Amino acid sequence: MKAMPPLEEITALAGHQFPGGRYKIEHWENYLLTGCTGGEVLPNNMVHPVAMFHVPIRGANTSIAEMFELGQAESDLSIIPEYYDWEMFEPLIEEVTYDITGKIVTAERRQNDLGQTYDWLQFCFEMRTPDNTLSARVTMAWQFTRNLL
Amino acid sequence: MSNNYKVGDSIPEWVMESVSAERMRTMAAILRDPNPLHWDREAVANLNVGSATLPASLGKRTINQGPLGLSYMINMLHEWMGPECIKRFYMTFPQVVLDEDRVIAKGTITALREENNLQLADCDIWLEHAERGSLLIGKATVQLQ
Repeated sequence: MKAMPPLEEITALAGHQFPGGRYKIEHWENYLLTGCTGGEVLPNNMVHPVAMFHVPIRGANTSIAEMFELGQAESDLSIIPEYYDWEMFEPLIEEVTYDITGKIVTAERRQNDLGQTYDWLQFCFEMRTPDNTLSARVTMAWQFTRNLL
Repeated sequence: MSNNYKVGDSIPEWVMESVSAERMRTMAAILRDPNPLHWDREAVANLNVGSATLPASLGKRTINQGPLGLSYMINMLHEWMGPECIKRFYMTFPQVVLDEDRVIAKGTITALREENNLQLADCDIWLEHAERGSLLIGKATVQLQ
């Protein structure tokens, strides 16, 4: 069992910026992604919103694995996704290259109703079109459970 | 409001008759997600089960990726109000969705309001399983037609 990381190492994560970068959702990716949902491909080259799950992370030049590592996850199974909050200001469109930024907004040590300690990390990513229009914002919180497995 | 919607109205349901292990595999490739729980039934069978989020009888069934479960609710909202209707989408994941599950996306209107000349509906949305209840639970803000 891994030792619980020092509190100061967790709280120091607040404000951490991911490198940022660009991502273009190509037609093939949207087509396959939409097929996985059981839905129909959307008209006018619109991207299925489910892309907001992975595109911001990859576009910001990070990965789920790196995010787990930053929070010193005990294992892949020790993470509980608490919520995903997607704000959609305009539809995402295929073949548009989005500028994507991301950061850790909040990093706290908390206890659940059973008195079990976990670390709570809240991430925020923004997707902008080449003319700097904010298209979407993704905020999500993960619980990094400690010593529960 | 210029439309006939009211608080308490139900959103037409969207049914996934059988969650597909094959789609999970494709999704894992798109996400570059190496977690075997989404494509290796043996890995799932070896899990310790019975926790708050994992049912006691997982068996040899892969676990659906979170985005696929929530996408069923997105599909429901799109069929209801069109492909550009979703303005905000908030989702929690109390339970897992398994391959071969039959799940139904459901929702109700909780508030109606106008913002920036848009007619909006705030909705409770959830993904329901006949035996295990609500697997995913969330909220959405939808632009009404």
